[in-house]
Amino acid sequence: MNPIGLYIHFPWCIKKCPYCDFNSHVIDGQIPEKEYISSLINDLYDDVADFHGPINSVFLGGGTPSLFSPRSISEILSTTKNVLKVSDDAEITLEANPGALDAANIEGFRQIGVNRLSLGVQSFQDQHLSSLGRVHNNDDINYAIAAIKSAGFTNINFDLMHGLPKQDWKSAKRDLLQAISHEPTHISWYQLTIEPNTVFSHKPPSLPCEEMLIEIYERGIELLSQEGYNRYEISAFSQLNKESRHNLNYWQFGDYIGIGAGAHGKHTIGGNIYRTTKSRSPRDYLISPNKKIKTVSRSEIPLEYLMNSLRLVSGSELRDFEERTGLSKEVINNFLNKAFEGGFIDNKRRLVPTQLGLSFLDEVLLLID
Amino acid sequence: MFDPKYIRNFSIIAHIDHGKSTLADRFIHLCGGLTDREMEEQVLDSMDIERERGITIKAQSVSLMYEAKNGQKYQLNIIDTPGHVDFSYEVSRSMAACEGALLVVDAAQGVEAQSVANCYTAIEQDLEVLPVLNKIDLPQADPDLVCQEIEEIIGIEASNALRVSAKTGDGVEDLLETLIKVVPSPADYRNEDLQALIIDSWFDNYLGVISLVRVVKGSISRKDRIVAKSIGKVHQVDSVGIFTPHRTEMETLGTGEVGFVVAGIKEVKGAPVGDTIAGANSDVAALPGFETIRPQVYAGMFTVSSDDFDSFRDALEKLTLNDAALVYEPESSDALGSGFRCGFLGMLHMEIVQERLEREYNLDLISSAPTVIYEIAFKNGNVVRVDNPSQLPDPSSVAEMREPIALANILVPSGYLGNIINLCVERRGVQKDLQFVGAQVSVSYELPMNEVVLDFFDKLKSVSRGYASLEYGFLKFQPSNLVRLDVLINGDHVDALALIVHRDDARGKGHALTKKMKELIPRQLFDVAIQAAIGNQIIARQTVKALRKNVTAKCYGGDITRKKKLLEKQKAGKKRMKKLGSVEIPQEAFLAVLKVDK
Repeated sequence: MNPIGLYIHFPWCIKKCPYCDFNSHVIDGQIPEKEYISSLINDLYDDVADFHGPINSVFLGGGTPSLFSPRSISEILSTTKNVLKVSDDAEITLEANPGALDAANIEGFRQIGVNRLSLGVQSFQDQHLSSLGRVHNNDDINYAIAAIKSAGFTNINFDLMHGLPKQDWKSAKRDLLQAISHEPTHISWYQLTIEPNTVFSHKPPSLPCEEMLIEIYERGIELLSQEGYNRYEISAFSQLNKESRHNLNYWQFGDYIGIGAGAHGKHTIGGNIYRTTKSRSPRDYLISPNKKIKTVSRSEIPLEYLMNSLRLVSGSELRDFEERTGLSKEVINNFLNKAFEGGFIDNKRRLVPTQLGLSFLDEVLLLID
Repeated sequence: MFDPKYIRNFSIIAHIDHGKSTLADRFIHLCGGLTDREMEEQVLDSMDIERERGITIKAQSVSLMYEAKNGQKYQLNIIDTPGHVDFSYEVSRSMAACEGALLVVDAAQGVEAQSVANCYTAIEQDLEVLPVLNKIDLPQADPDLVCQEIEEIIGIEASNALRVSAKTGDGVEDLLETLIKVVPSPADYRNEDLQALIIDSWFDNYLGVISLVRVVKGSISRKDRIVAKSIGKVHQVDSVGIFTPHRTEMETLGTGEVGFVVAGIKEVKGAPVGDTIAGANSDVAALPGFETIRPQVYAGMFTVSSDDFDSFRDALEKLTLNDAALVYEPESSDALGSGFRCGFLGMLHMEIVQERLEREYNLDLISSAPTVIYEIAFKNGNVVRVDNPSQLPDPSSVAEMREPIALANILVPSGYLGNIINLCVERRGVQKDLQFVGAQVSVSYELPMNEVVLDFFDKLKSVSRGYASLEYGFLKFQPSNLVRLDVLINGDHVDALALIVHRDDARGKGHALTKKMKELIPRQLFDVAIQAAIGNQIIARQTVKALRKNVTAKCYGGDITRKKKLLEKQKAGKKRMKKLGSVEIPQEAFLAVLKVDK
């Protein structure tokens, strides 16, 4: 029985960032915390029937989950433990945003069993933070980090962005070094991209030129590796054995439960793969999660598998493909040949991307029949 | 059978936007042809493309029953005509089925050139022309001035022109009353042998060929045995009827009537447009058909995937059945493989043919750069015509190259005359005539056909805020200093991109073309060099820089649906690209020449 992940979505933020295309909504008055938690519980009850594997990771994501009280978070966590088998050493991550958490709450999260904290730093420099429309500044970050550490968290991730307006390598390097100086176990270092239906897509900021973006990207990866942060996924870097278990499960095409507004789930039953979705708008969700289940057709499965697994630097084996998709490896024969000829995978008998493959994944995926 | 005395067959001559379709709809409504609920806007334009573009391409017909004020019932057959300059040939076909024509002129905009030309066609074919001023409800309407324009430009009496608003319905009933008085009834040949003119034919997957006919003599009924004179093969009539506008089966189509005939003809060439239908054993003569139309623009068309070649050929065959202006013959391109060299009336025609092939027959097509036909005089005295730049002979054997010249007649409000003259001069035009008529100026230019067919009409519209109108025709071949402009992609000649241009324009065109192509060709994993050359001399170069990376930075949260959709869209786009060597070129890049601003 393969372990599965549980994702719980908290769809509210103090402010919507202009680059963000996640399902997040600005708080209108007060968060209906109690009502939302009880909806989550109903949602969870409805989902668990289909899942049997042990829960290996829980991810409390958003939005800004740290806007919820430890008591509320504790309620959904203990319900989870009652209805599902949660491994003793399960990774339980909470996302928090500087400027949206206080020391007492952090302490509380630690006590109720959260053992990993993911902090939305984005940049340490006020100039960049304001161009990204973040509510926080450098002081808020330092306050948050101090609080997280004093609460006893040792497994910490920073979300950090690069390729920001007016950024050059020097400034990107300053962000990286400052992050590293706090010794987080994990850094998600990803490039700012302009997504459709965001404020930035309507009013695009002026981004650094391509040469600069490439320089930042290449030198950043090098610096992180020198500092002991191993690149294990396109934008994910970790100290030894500190990879995000929850995200690894996505990239390895594992199953997961998704509860909360707009949350997605994936499960495999009897050789079929299903995806679940829930109402996106918090208002609708509070009335009913309105769960929708869709069978992934066999023809779509290879793309779904590869768009996840080829993000991993170590890739995967063909037997992993067969085991996770229930398909024969023959169905990707053409792809293997083409990807190998293009120099995107290192070998026709496994799915391990080359450096070129990692840099051009979106092109590689177009080679699938 | 209806007494021909009470039949009126007529066309509506009008410029796009002058309200022809609205007027036709109004007639249909008035005669109860459709219920309110069915009354969709512009029912006559039945092809998707027509409705989307708001233009009429194909002739259509509708038969209405009108009860006149004197209590007599009349059968009114409206044969619709296209309004765009590219499709003027369809007009004379429609008119061959009529005794009269309504000349509909926008009372706010005045007469435009295409209507003038169509009106002359109607007069040549002895049709009774009834001038109608439409849109009199508009505040800027100036009916008196427009009447004066009609009289001065076209030369027909317009003082009694009817004034209507198709939009409000004002005056439309009076118009019908006048029409039944003025337009003659069809000649009564009820007792003679069948003779029917095929105005249009199209292919229906279930019924086979459907023909729209005008019964000139005799009658045609279900189970009759008939022949199309030029084919000679006997068929039995399955059904006849009229469009009300619904297809409505009848027992018989009588003399003077316009309707459809289905006779189990399965092969697409079985009922050619312009042919005459007669009884199986009859020896009646064929009616004079239609003038064959000469295409003005030629381009190669190729399927993106070579597997589709056979379906492409079938689709072309079916399309030409009711698009007599489309001609094609096999062509083989080094770059694009096997396809067809197709001749079109103009760019709009080409676009529409491509769109119909792609939509109705589910094909992915690539067109080579369109060209007009050139005349080459060899030193040994031979003269040939070339419709494909890649077939230009070795310059050393050529005595003279000649380009086609068009005579273009333009009508434009005087305020835009300067812009129009600038445009014509820019396109190497020579002014032939200029006259002020009413509020407009009538100006004639001799222009290279090449300059006229590509985008002249659009440019003309844009420099005159849509008010200028154009009518043109081939005039002559004229010696000109022409060269072939070649395009190379990563060093390889691409025959499908070659152009014939005037030597003076070559450099500018080469720069503009390569620049435009650079915008249209997506970045690839390596540099792509685009060069323009005359002979061995490179005159322009652009480089599409290699992509440095292409990867989605963030892919979390288990929601992969949007990313997946995006990839699927990109994949579909990629399928529509043509691989030349290792370079992927999108369809639009082959037509970059059309998007170049002068």
